[in-house]
Amino acid sequence: MGTVLVVAEIQKGAIREASFELVAAAQGIDGAEVNGLVIGSGVGDLANEFASKGAGKTYVVDDAAAENYNVDVWSKAIKAAAEASGADLILISNTPTGWDVAPRIAAGLDCAFTSDCIKASAGDGGYDFVRRVFNGKLDAEVSTTGKTVATMQPGAMAPFEGSSDGGTEALSADLSAGARFVEIKVAESTGVDLTKADVIVSGGRGVGDPEKFPEVIQPLADALGGAMGASRPVVDAGWLDHPYQVGSSGQIVAPKLYIAAGISGAIQHLVGMKASNFIVAINKDPDAPIFEVADVGVVADLFDIIPALTEAVGGAKG
Amino acid sequence: MKVMVCLKQVPHQDARLDVNADGTWIQEDNIKFEINSYDTYAVEEALKLKDAGSADEVIVVSIGPDRVTQALRTALGMGADRAIHVNDDAAAGADALATAKILAAVAKEEGADLVFAGLMADDDNASAIPPMVAELLGFPSATGVLATDFSGDAVKVERELEGGALEVVELPKPCLIAIQSGANQVRYASLKGIMQAKKKPVDVKSLADLGVADSASAAQNKTKINKIYVPPKGDSAEILSGSTDEVVGQLVTKIKELGLL
Repeated sequence: MGTVLVVAEIQKGAIREASFELVAAAQGIDGAEVNGLVIGSGVGDLANEFASKGAGKTYVVDDAAAENYNVDVWSKAIKAAAEASGADLILISNTPTGWDVAPRIAAGLDCAFTSDCIKASAGDGGYDFVRRVFNGKLDAEVSTTGKTVATMQPGAMAPFEGSSDGGTEALSADLSAGARFVEIKVAESTGVDLTKADVIVSGGRGVGDPEKFPEVIQPLADALGGAMGASRPVVDAGWLDHPYQVGSSGQIVAPKLYIAAGISGAIQHLVGMKASNFIVAINKDPDAPIFEVADVGVVADLFDIIPALTEAVGGAKG
Repeated sequence: MKVMVCLKQVPHQDARLDVNADGTWIQEDNIKFEINSYDTYAVEEALKLKDAGSADEVIVVSIGPDRVTQALRTALGMGADRAIHVNDDAAAGADALATAKILAAVAKEEGADLVFAGLMADDDNASAIPPMVAELLGFPSATGVLATDFSGDAVKVERELEGGALEVVELPKPCLIAIQSGANQVRYASLKGIMQAKKKPVDVKSLADLGVADSASAAQNKTKINKIYVPPKGDSAEILSGSTDEVVGQLVTKIKELGLL
């Protein structure tokens, strides 16, 4: 055991930070030999960079067929690199790319799989991981046997900052694909831009009723001169439109004050708001994960607190 | 076109989560279960195809103990045509790959042209099963799908990326599509639907019936949960206490300190 293949992801022409977090995870495994993989078209320089910044010997699949992400192309490229490197652990970020391709590889290799991990270490005949379950309410210690594919949660550890001199090796593979990339569509901009607000008051599933957003959440946002936001379940239910959504698949925000009302704090929401300067969480459930990132918490019914706070803020402004 | 939908029954989102006696999962006695939220969007997507006349039959499939029948009946009440319930003690605690092998065996036996699943499960949050089933079937797949278009020969789907971007992908049929939450407005089971669902067939199958008793039982697990627990408290919030007025007063003081009032 002990050969790790770290799969890089490229975003806006650069290797994304999450890939260097994977390198840190791999480098942190006792006695592991670390190998990298870069997939794309015209990515030789990026492969050199990955090889020199901790990924060790880096395989590169440089092919026009890999210009855009394609699950079949990636799956074949990763399997080829796993074979060439003799990897017994393949690490991929738990991003839309990772959750699309990683399980396919595990099934193709008939090997162990675990996802969205926050820690990785050498185990007994396999690897040990810690991951979140029940939307962050509980942690699970997971162990695998034999060859393993795992995805790691972006942001769970600091990016690797050391160096390596593994060099690169070009790899060719059959990259034929069933799925066909068509295009990337970027959402049209709307009037709502939470990224510019100094104060955001967000409501979650705990608000319980679409009418309560204009009646309870918006007035506090207005009183504070801020904007109203929401967590994913609210937008999924059609209570508010997508531009109001704070989270990894919505807006990434960092206001001076973020008030989370009735939001339990699923990982995807926390990713979108944890950089806020000051976070107030109001939730009836004292075990809600949101209290882990909040500066100040109130364990109470939001319908008791928010209207009273709105009035008090109005009064304080005089 | 025969459409199969993979369903998981999970603890209700508001269920009390107590760790079980051996510390490896939650205490499942006396809690409410429901269909995994992501899977409800997958059922809806399949039923939309049936409404449009593109799907001849929608089959819902679930693995689990007797209680899972309730989830299948709910999906039948929404409009699915029939259900397959893989009920076998040997599958209890099966890891993702073993579970995917069971589902792939059902899809093969049924000759499904299209498989829908939810992107992930609300209990283990693993997002593992759908691509695994696709790989085992040799189907092209897409995950995190928010929109589907079946008007052409290939299925065109929109996958959610980060920050509001979408990736458009075409998949030749047969294929597997894992649906992201919020893809559609999920219908409720109507009273009429629930009455009709009682007459719809639920086939109960064992791993042996599917020919996967040796390859897909929990005994074959390559991935094991050793322990689950409440995450250690880190730098958690300062919890404000007192009456509503006192708490609100403290909050106003904090907001003033931030220079926002």
